[in-house]
Order: sequence, then structure tokens, then C-alpha cells
Amino acid sequence: MLRLKKSSALLFLLMLSLVALSACGGKNGSSGGNTAASGGSAGASSSSSSGGAAAKPVEFAFYFTGSENVKDLWDTLTPMFEAKNPDIKVKLVYIPSGTGAQPTYDRIAAAKQAGKGSGGIDLYEDGLPTVTKGQKDDMWDTLSTSAIPNLANVDEQTMKDVGYLAVPYRSSAVILAYNSDKVKDAPGTLDELYDWIRKHPERFAYNDPSTGGAGSSFVQSTVYKFLPEDAIHSSDPAIEKQWDQGFALLKDLGKYVYGKGIYPKKNQGTLDLLASGEVDMIPAWSDMVLQQLEEGTLPKSTKLKQLSPGFNGGPTYLMVPKLSDKKEAVYKFLDFVMTPEAQSIIVQKMHGFPGIKLSSMPQSIQDSFQGVSDGFRTFNIGDLGTDINKRWQSDVAAQ
Amino acid sequence: MRKETKTGMLGLALVIPSFLLLFVVVVIPIIASFRESLKNDSGGYDFSRYLFLFTDPGMRANLIFTLEITCVSVLIILLVSYALAVYMRFSSGALVVWIRRMYMIPIFIPGVIATYGLINLLGNHGWLSRLLLPLGVESLPRIIFDEKGIIIANCWFNIPFTTMLLSSALAGIPASVIESAKDVGAGRLQLFFRFILPLSYKTFLVAVTFVFMGVIGSFTAPFLLGPNAPQMLGVAMEQVFGVFQEREQAAAIAFFTFALCSFMGYFYIRSMVREETARR
Repeated sequence: MLRLKKSSALLFLLMLSLVALSACGGKNGSSGGNTAASGGSAGASSSSSSGGAAAKPVEFAFYFTGSENVKDLWDTLTPMFEAKNPDIKVKLVYIPSGTGAQPTYDRIAAAKQAGKGSGGIDLYEDGLPTVTKGQKDDMWDTLSTSAIPNLANVDEQTMKDVGYLAVPYRSSAVILAYNSDKVKDAPGTLDELYDWIRKHPERFAYNDPSTGGAGSSFVQSTVYKFLPEDAIHSSDPAIEKQWDQGFALLKDLGKYVYGKGIYPKKNQGTLDLLASGEVDMIPAWSDMVLQQLEEGTLPKSTKLKQLSPGFNGGPTYLMVPKLSDKKEAVYKFLDFVMTPEAQSIIVQKMHGFPGIKLSSMPQSIQDSFQGVSDGFRTFNIGDLGTDINKRWQSDVAAQ
Repeated sequence: MRKETKTGMLGLALVIPSFLLLFVVVVIPIIASFRESLKNDSGGYDFSRYLFLFTDPGMRANLIFTLEITCVSVLIILLVSYALAVYMRFSSGALVVWIRRMYMIPIFIPGVIATYGLINLLGNHGWLSRLLLPLGVESLPRIIFDEKGIIIANCWFNIPFTTMLLSSALAGIPASVIESAKDVGAGRLQLFFRFILPLSYKTFLVAVTFVFMGVIGSFTAPFLLGPNAPQMLGVAMEQVFGVFQEREQAAAIAFFTFALCSFMGYFYIRSMVREETARR
């Protein structure tokens, strides 16, 4: 009898632990990713804590993704904002680049479909494809200068391009980074660049376009070189028929790039090759190169050059989910981000372009941008970017 | 009789939680992703996604590449691990002590770090080429961004655990068996094929299954060390799912990988069942 009791107690304990285990498993399964799961609990706790007492400051959750420097930036800006607005707290949720950006969008979409507001996400940072995707799914709040006065500082055309659904708070450009010890006369146009690549076999590399913006920019600039000027603002699939010439060129260049057709993964992949001297020239994000020069991970001989017309770069956007219930606080935060003061910090920290018009920036910063911003172009080809990557994989990588 | 029913019910109760757990976290997701993989572009259900796997030249190259890498890796890993394990079991001396101390170190190094280490070691201007330069070796063959790199990484990740597994099996072979065989005049090869191999055969099968599944589903090393095309299935899956955003196609690749793994699992389970029935 005693033995039976013991065993039933054991059974009970076992069941209990299994239930706990299965609960964990279920949670992981439903959110689809490890980072999203941890973000999920963070988001949930923030919404429950702010719903408590009225005296407590309003806390909103800000999800952002990117490299470590983006995290640094928000870790600097947020305390400045909170010092000025003691009634608002910003909960920063950082999702390292490449791990969970898609699940974050899916979470906002899932919360909307389930009728649960914005899923505890009140502000979200991502690139243009996410803005356009959200535009189709009607996910983002329409922003106006009446709620965010400093939005007036932003270039009107850029705001119109995204239908006033997102704030382009900073920009970076893709430029050519090269080893000035080896390259004396860096190319100034795309055609000169192709010439250089052919004359210096295996000394040029660009990264797999599906893994990072620098390579993607090189591929898109090459493909759209043969198309009419305004094609870069169109997302009409009919245009894909005109891509052949560009892809033929990329295919041909494959023989001359690093390793006769090796395209490293991620933006950092080509930067590593440049740092170790395996190649002499790469397309790279200006902010990454400048930061790594400062930290000394790239040799001092590394120089930058913008082509004319330039590679496409692009702004990074902040979006407010339409169903967020803390929009007032978020508007105040966005207003702060678009002040010249905050923008100056963004420029210094990220080595990027400001999100607001240069004329609204302090004189010293205006001076530092002389000549650099000329060739800057923004592409807006929507979903076609995915098709380019797909075709690149089958035409160029697997040739 | 009553007591037997009681123990029977207890046994059933003990099995049910783990069965439910398995059902929720394994069986349901597999069925769901199988269903997902059958959806075609127009919303209907057919096998077009699987047809694509075998007809698209790029995808077919990925499949062949993956199987090739997996088979070569499994072969090398098992050969090396088995040799190591046998050596550690039946030899003694300072070298064995050192191997025993060192061989598990790779387990404690995170995958990404080890992969970057391999890039630095084996890359074009890496340590290895710098070390070999004084010896007159001008250029190394390409190891990184090539299938060789993936195979080396697979060896690094899998040999320690496989050796551990096989060592435990070999440790279970009684020394008396070996000694008495030696006494009646069995040679080294005879010893190995007649006694050591049959007595560790089951663990060997477990090791094959583990290594096969680990290699075929690997991602980090193939992503960072592999060529752009063809890719291993794990990398292709990530690209199709994350970059091209074709959920159904990714589900088809995932299900196909699962089918390959369960094919391996089938042999493993069959041998287990045979063993159980033989014991009765």
C-alpha cells in the first residue's frame, strides 16, 4: 500500500513536470522563433505593467533590428528622451539583425488578425520592404505633422513615397570601399567599375545579395543601369522582362570577381576580405566602413568613393502599428527623434545621413556632407527586390 | 489479476504524458508542415512543390550536394571516431591519456566561433597558409567557400560526440572476452571483426543515425563556409523561407529532409525492435 502511494506521488510529480515542459514547448512552437519567444514575454509584461495605475509613466515597446551600432544608438537616444519626458518610458526590444525581423512583422499581423491590438508592439523599425508590405496589409498608422510637428523637417517626396506611413529617420549609402595602397585611380562610374573588375581579376568581391544590402545594391544598380531612369520607382512586375541585359553582365562578371564566383555571406563577409587583403575593392555600407575604420578593424589605407550616379542606398524607417494604444507617447518620441539635436547624434553615431533635410541640420554637419550626398539615390522597387535575389541565385550563383 | 491491471494502468499513465508531449511538439507540426507543403500557387493541393524540388536544376543540385556532403562526412567521421575509440580502449600510454583529455574540447566551443576560427585558419591568407609559406607551399587549394570546408567543419562538430558514444560501447566489452580470444590464438583483425565490431554494432548504428541527422540539418557552417551554389538544404531552406518568402516551398524542403532522416531512423528502430524480440 505504502509502495502504491509512493508511486502515485511520483507519478503526480512527473505529470506536473511534463505539463510544465509541454507548456514551454508549446510557446516556442507558436511564436515560430527563439528570439520572438523571448521578445513575446517582454512585450506582454510591458503592456500589463502599464495598464496598472494612472500615476505610472506610460511605457511603450519599441522593437528594432539591425547591427550592434543600431542598438548603441537607441541606448543613447532613449535616456535623453526619457529625461525630457518623465511621464513616458521606452521599452527597447532589440532583435539582432537576421534573427527575428520577420517574426516581429508576423506578430503584429497575427495580433491584428486575432483582434488583439498591436501585440504589444508600439513602434517598429525596418527597411522599405516592410513598409510596403504593411501598406498592403493596412498595418501602419498614417502620420501627420499636426501630431508630429518635426515631421515637417523631412523631405516631402520621401514621405509621399511611403504614403506618410513611416518616418525615414536615418539613411546610409552604399559606396565603394577600396585599399588605397593598391588602387590609385578608383573608378567613378559603374562602367569604369566593370572595366576595373575585368582588368583586375579576383580583386573585387560583392556579397550574396540575399544576405546583405551592399551586395544587393550592387546587383540592383547593375540590373537597372540598362533601364529607363524612372524604373527605380516602379514595382510593376512587367519590368522584369528588361532585366536580361543586367543579369548577362553580372553573369559575365562572375569570372572576374573573387574566387571566380564566390560571393561571401552578409555585408561583413566582404569587409572581412577587404581587411585581410584578399580583395582590393568592395561595395559596402558607408556607416559600417566608417565605424570599422574608427575601431581599427579595417586598415587605415581603406578609402571610400561614391560613384556617380550612386549605388542605391536607402533610409531606415520607423513605423507605428495602426492598432497601438499608446500612440500619443510614440508621437512624442518620434517628434524627438526628428529634432536636429537627436539627428546630430544619429549622424555621429551611425556615420549615416540624417533623416531630415540637411538644411535643418546644424551648419557643421551641413559642411561635413558637402559632396558626399550628391550621388545618393533611393530605389523603391517593392517586392521586385525579392525576385531579383531569386533570379540572381539561379542565374548568377548557380551558373 | 487486480494487481496486474493496476500496474498496467500505471504503465499507461506513465506513457500518456510523454506521448502527448511528443504528439503536440512533434507529430502535429509535422502534419501541419506536410499540409502546408502540398499547397500550390493557386490555393489548391498537389505535389507541385515536391516536383519543383526534383525538377528545378538549382534545387536538384542542392539535393545532390547535400547528400554527397552528408555521406562523405558520415563516412569520415565514423572512421576517425571508431579508430580513436578503439585506440583509446585497447591501448595505454601518455598519448592515450592526452587524447582522452583533449578530444572533447570541440564540444565546448560554440558553433559560430568554431566556424569563424576555421575561416581564419583555412582561408586564403589564413594561419595555415602563413605557417606553410616557409616550407615552400605557395598557395593552398581552396578550402573555405567550398565543400571541403563544410566537411571539415562537420568533422570538427561531430567527431568528439561520436567518439564519446563509441567509447562507452567499447568500454562495455569485457576484457575477459578479448583475453580469452587472444589465448586461443585470435589475430588482431579476427579480434576486431569477430568480437569488437559485433559487440559495438548497435551503438555504431546509433552513431550513424545521429551524425547523419546532425549533418543533413546543419546550417551555421554550410551558411558561412559553403559555396553560393549549390547549397546545403538547410541554407536553401533559410533562403527560400526568409528571403524569397515562399513558405510552402520551404515546408516541402523541410518535409523532404524529415523524410530522409526518418528513413535513417527506420533502420535504427528496426534493429532495436529485433534486439527486443530476440531478448524475449
